[in-house]
Amino acid sequence: MTQEAQETQSVLTPEVKAMIGVEGELVESWGTVDVEYLRRFTQAVMDPDPRYWDVDFAKTTHYGEVIVPPIMVSYMTGRIRPDQDDAITKAFQENPMSDGIGNVERPGALPEIPTHLVRTLNAGNEIEIFQYPSIGDVIFFQNRYHDIRERVGRDGKAFLIITREVTYTNQNKAVLCITRQSSIRR
Amino acid sequence: MTVPLEDLLKMKPEEIVTHNERPTADQLRNKTQTYYEDVAVGMELPKYIYSPTPTHLFRWSAAIENFHRIHYDLDFGVNHDKNPSILVHGSWKQSVVPQYLKDFTLPKGWPWKAAFEHRAMLVPGDTLIVWATVTNKYEKEGMGFIEMDLGMKTQDGVESMPGSATVVLPLKGGKDIPYPFVPPKD
Repeated sequence: MTQEAQETQSVLTPEVKAMIGVEGELVESWGTVDVEYLRRFTQAVMDPDPRYWDVDFAKTTHYGEVIVPPIMVSYMTGRIRPDQDDAITKAFQENPMSDGIGNVERPGALPEIPTHLVRTLNAGNEIEIFQYPSIGDVIFFQNRYHDIRERVGRDGKAFLIITREVTYTNQNKAVLCITRQSSIRR
Repeated sequence: MTVPLEDLLKMKPEEIVTHNERPTADQLRNKTQTYYEDVAVGMELPKYIYSPTPTHLFRWSAAIENFHRIHYDLDFGVNHDKNPSILVHGSWKQSVVPQYLKDFTLPKGWPWKAAFEHRAMLVPGDTLIVWATVTNKYEKEGMGFIEMDLGMKTQDGVESMPGSATVVLPLKGGKDIPYPFVPPKD
């Protein structure tokens, strides 16, 4: 704990510290990595790389097959499964001025951090890439509280920096990529 | 030779876009390897320039199934959330980064990792410049590691995504970068 934090009221309580390393359940994303999602994604990110669509060329490359942007599979985690309620309709039934996201429950979510701090700001993102996904891959993901730190703002009040890590693996348990998102909780 | 970022920022948007270096499919297909020895500290990478429109934003929302209204509903964004317009997605920005690093390291290098923050709000009509400058290089386990600062600046020089990255390039006459990538031991 910093000296400044000692002089103010610490928010890095033992209960908060105990959340470091806590993992969510391992979740299988709906569907598989397919060429149509790959086409839509690479066109939307505006990457014309033939490694994504030219099968014959892809076979001659270092990777030997069509590759897939690792970050693409990270968005598969947000898919609403067809056996779930229609989350959008539900969001607008609950709040006609819904922001379009609503309070959709996501599978594999982590338990809430036990803190009175409620205001959340995005503090940064990281991505670490190990392997390109392949067409046909089944994607699994698992959340984890990677780190929680305390800082003191200019106003003298302590706040938390919470880093949530998501590991993406395929059906062979190969790690494809890891993303980390840090958020400030004031 | 890429135009220095400093010079680009002195130009008007209509001139900035003429210096876009986003590669075509054929340029990516025929990309020759940049080796560790080819890179010097201070070197600027090619600039990727984007001019997002509401249609680009809608295409991204649809591709990744992001239903947040601030990205496509102008009335909601301006009158409810008090934003200046619909907003460019942070998810799109962070998906451009691995693409940018991939293109630089092709055909046999590896876009290992990146970290960045989301700061300014970006809107349709902005001209966006993705940039990177090499800050350090070192060899380890027979591979060449290149560290760089990177970001996405607006035409006004506002940095919307300050960050850093580390990529791996082969050494001339050296071994192939292992695939799947195995990070060096600390």
